[in-house]
Amino acid sequence: MTVSSEQHIEGKRDVTFRVFRLNPQVDSKPYFDDYTIPVERGITVLRALNYIKENIDASVSYRVFCQAGICGSCGMRINGISKLACTTQVWDELPKCREAGIIKIEPLRNLPLLKDLIVDMDPLVGKMKHYRNWVESSMPEPEMGKKEFLVSEEEFSRYDKATDCILCASCVSECSILRANKEYVSPAVLLKSYRMNVDTRDSLHDVRLAELVQDHGVWDCTHCYRCQETCVKNIPIMEAIHGIREDAIECRGLKDTAGAKHAEAFMSDIEKKGKLVEATLPFRTNGVAWTVKNLLPMAVKMILKRRTPPPPPLVKSSKGMKQFREEFREMTEHVKDDHKTHNK
Amino acid sequence: MKPFDIIIVGGGGAGLYAAMEAMKTNPSLNIAVLSKVYPNRSHTSAAQGGANAALANTAKDDSVELHIFDTIKGSDYLADQDAAEVLCTEAPKIIRELDNMGTPWSRLDDKTIAQRPFGGAGRPRCCYCADKTGHTILQTLYEQCLKKGVVFFNEYLALNLSVKGSRSKGLIAMDIKTGKIEAFTARTVIFATGGYAKMYWNRSSNALGNSGDGQAIAYRAGIPLKDMEFVQFHPTGLRKSGLLVTEGARGEGGYLVNSLGERFMSRYAPEKMELGPRDLVSRSIETEILQGRGFDSPAGKYVHLDLTHLGADLIRQRLPQIREMSMYFEGVDPIEEPIPVRPTAHYSMGGIDTDNQGRTVMEGVYAAGECACVSVHGANRLGGNSLLDILVFGRIAGHTAAEEARSFEPGNITDAELKEHAEEIRSYMQPSGHYERYGALREELGHTLGTNVGIYREASLLRKGIEEIAALRERFKKVRVFDSSDVFNTNLLQVLELRNMLDLSETVAAGAYAREESRGSHTRTDFPTRDDGKWHKHTMATLVDGKLELGEKPVTMGRYELQERTY
Ligand SMILES: Cc1cc2nc3c(=O)[nH]c(=O)nc-3n(C[C@H](O)[C@H](O)[C@H](O)COP(=O)(O)OP(=O)(O)OC[C@H]3O[C@@H](n4cnc5c(N)ncnc54)[C@H](O)[C@@H]3O)c2cc1C
Ligand code: SF4
Ligand code: SF4
Ligand code: FES
Repeated sequence: MTVSSEQHIEGKRDVTFRVFRLNPQVDSKPYFDDYTIPVERGITVLRALNYIKENIDASVSYRVFCQAGICGSCGMRINGISKLACTTQVWDELPKCREAGIIKIEPLRNLPLLKDLIVDMDPLVGKMKHYRNWVESSMPEPEMGKKEFLVSEEEFSRYDKATDCILCASCVSECSILRANKEYVSPAVLLKSYRMNVDTRDSLHDVRLAELVQDHGVWDCTHCYRCQETCVKNIPIMEAIHGIREDAIECRGLKDTAGAKHAEAFMSDIEKKGKLVEATLPFRTNGVAWTVKNLLPMAVKMILKRRTPPPPPLVKSSKGMKQFREEFREMTEHVKDDHKTHNK
Repeated sequence: MKPFDIIIVGGGGAGLYAAMEAMKTNPSLNIAVLSKVYPNRSHTSAAQGGANAALANTAKDDSVELHIFDTIKGSDYLADQDAAEVLCTEAPKIIRELDNMGTPWSRLDDKTIAQRPFGGAGRPRCCYCADKTGHTILQTLYEQCLKKGVVFFNEYLALNLSVKGSRSKGLIAMDIKTGKIEAFTARTVIFATGGYAKMYWNRSSNALGNSGDGQAIAYRAGIPLKDMEFVQFHPTGLRKSGLLVTEGARGEGGYLVNSLGERFMSRYAPEKMELGPRDLVSRSIETEILQGRGFDSPAGKYVHLDLTHLGADLIRQRLPQIREMSMYFEGVDPIEEPIPVRPTAHYSMGGIDTDNQGRTVMEGVYAAGECACVSVHGANRLGGNSLLDILVFGRIAGHTAAEEARSFEPGNITDAELKEHAEEIRSYMQPSGHYERYGALREELGHTLGTNVGIYREASLLRKGIEEIAALRERFKKVRVFDSSDVFNTNLLQVLELRNMLDLSETVAAGAYAREESRGSHTRTDFPTRDDGKWHKHTMATLVDGKLELGEKPVTMGRYELQERTY
């Protein structure tokens, strides 16, 4: 930060923006253009792009609307991380440049590229439709408008934070599974699905859940936490993902998928004994990686909730067991941190 | 494409409600929403405060009557009283309906929808969802439209109405993704394109796209605009962007300070100081700046909103959003330094003239939301009444259009019309004779409006403003679009939006010049009082043979007699 405080005093300097370019009408492959402009302290990346567009190259294309961090239009990758251009100060990015003084600007990943920094949002909207990301009111339409639902503070708080989502797709761009599988449900859609499922006014819970446990659904997530770390509104997306999984296990009749079946045995073990028994650990059949990504976070959460100390897995240690222990410790820290930051 | 029964232009609160209601009224109709941004990006998402409705959850003695009175008084008696009655009577129903569809309203201890006090309202009747009310309403409506299978044409820019005689044949629009000009033949068109306050450019809290496209399209088609001179200013916009610093900052004890270090509000409102009414605080800041006691910067003159004396803890706890805004958009941490602010154009009261059912004078053309002027806000809108306006009148317009659509024959938009539009657009890209830079024109328009048609108005300034706008319109004919690509040509979009702002700015300035009185948001230093004898009427601006003609329309009165507006 010393660099930036010196610059604070200086107040103005030249900055190079290395911008990803592709116009599908003429370019067969993408390239980068460098624009070096004078920037004063207090300028956002978006304003810098506006300056470039107005004064140097009018063809640089990006989406922008509110300029206030609320419409979700201006998601792009700045120095490699997906975020909103309109809420990002150039000065804050300077210390993060890989090459000094050069800020790299690229489009979001995991959505089809249309031009320069513009990606197609339709696939995301398609998924919102597929997973029924709306409240299916338990009130019949002719009755609507006559009376309010009664919603307690506690019920409201279950979905309050999730409704902050502005569909900027930054989390989508950073999701590790989406890179490999474009059909994956997407973090933002999981978040919205969860928000609908915990709403007491909704009546579509089971249908939505049944879809979420299918292929490309909630069991595909690797728990890499990238989405949550990226979210421009600091929404605890992982809470939603854990929530859907716990829900899927608790819900009778939805257990028929492989994921849910193993999970149930594993979880009930913890529930009954407060500890893990190697004999029932599903990694024998599913491998360590699967167990870690799908079950551990939930198990840790349950244990933390109950305040029982994390139980040491019993029985003699094998190679798998050792790895499992390590992962277990790491995940406990992650989930604990999460609790600290996001618990009301 | 086969003709549509209803084309709705705009996917904000007004447009989406209209779509849902139209489908409900007649499910067999062929309806589509066309929007230049994905609907969830619309400016409705920016509304933080809330929406008014006399639910009487917080104050048990609140009533629809009181809401009507507050609205009419707030409007400085320029609102049509029958329209205000519709607005307030429908309010509780529409708020509950949103609740029933999933809007996450904040709650009271008794589990009912929470309400808070808001400027100009006699009771706490503003329903809210934390500070994201507009955002959550828009999300709810978008989600419900996805559920109902509303057809969307996203990232399409409406260019003009196609008109034959006194009737509309439909809409001409551009697919932003391909640059193609397309015909949307339609029995009816509903405009729900939002406000025009962005013409004040970086002296405006609005989104970039709030360029009054719908109003400009209607105006060019000969449909009258009403009360265009009434533009509401908010006292504290950020200096560089015009973005809003909400009243909370002053509510918690922030000071307004000029370049001499004085808390200047002591001159204008010695008792209330920084907490005086919005318009008074706006005028006070403007006076300080005009009299040379502001700070100067390349981004313009400003004063300080100083929170430093409140201390880091209080700012972090109570004003986190304001701190975030100030750091994100000005790069200033209010714990350490004062925030640079100046008044910012916030809301447009004027718009397309409609009746209480959303009809314009042209058969088959309707309007609703901030782009329409019914009028429920008159000379000054109350906070929390415009979200309500877009919902109530969005729904009404959707209903009316659905009822009436089948009574109109669909027209036929010719290829020649499309070609004409495509050629005009191409001409902006020709180097010969086209050299004016869009950025400069837009900057100058914002500047002349801000200084000559701003908070304080007077004949000589307005005359200057009108001349400068005319000159800018002349120069616009030579504007150059430097990007010649068809795909997502955002440079072209900027230029087309600027054209709309230029067309409308003339009506704002001319209306302000004609109206020789001060009422609501319109302050004439040369006519400092309200003149009901001469000016208790609406201003109508119509384009006749390519020229602006000003007319008038009486205000519909009702139960409430004219009174002086004091708080
Ligand atoms: C910062 C801020 C805070 C506010 N706070 C409040 C508040 O607390 N309470 C309150 O009641 N009001 C508030 N308002 C006012 C209120 O938000 C707006 O009046 C209202 O949201 C307008 O809604 P709308 O549906 O009419 O238009 P918008 O939401 O602006 O939607 C316009 C739509 O039209 C589309 N469109 C425009 N032109 C074209 C074109 N040429 N072709 C295709 N599509 C087009 C856009 O894409 C968009 O979808 C606030 C306003 C601002 C700026
Ligand atoms: S935690 Fe899951 S949803 Fe989030 S980024 Fe990783 S894989 Fe994607
Ligand atoms: S969850 Fe966060 S990052 Fe993802 S779309 Fe929503 S606001 Fe953007
Ligand atoms: S422009 Fe709206 S979020 Fe950045």
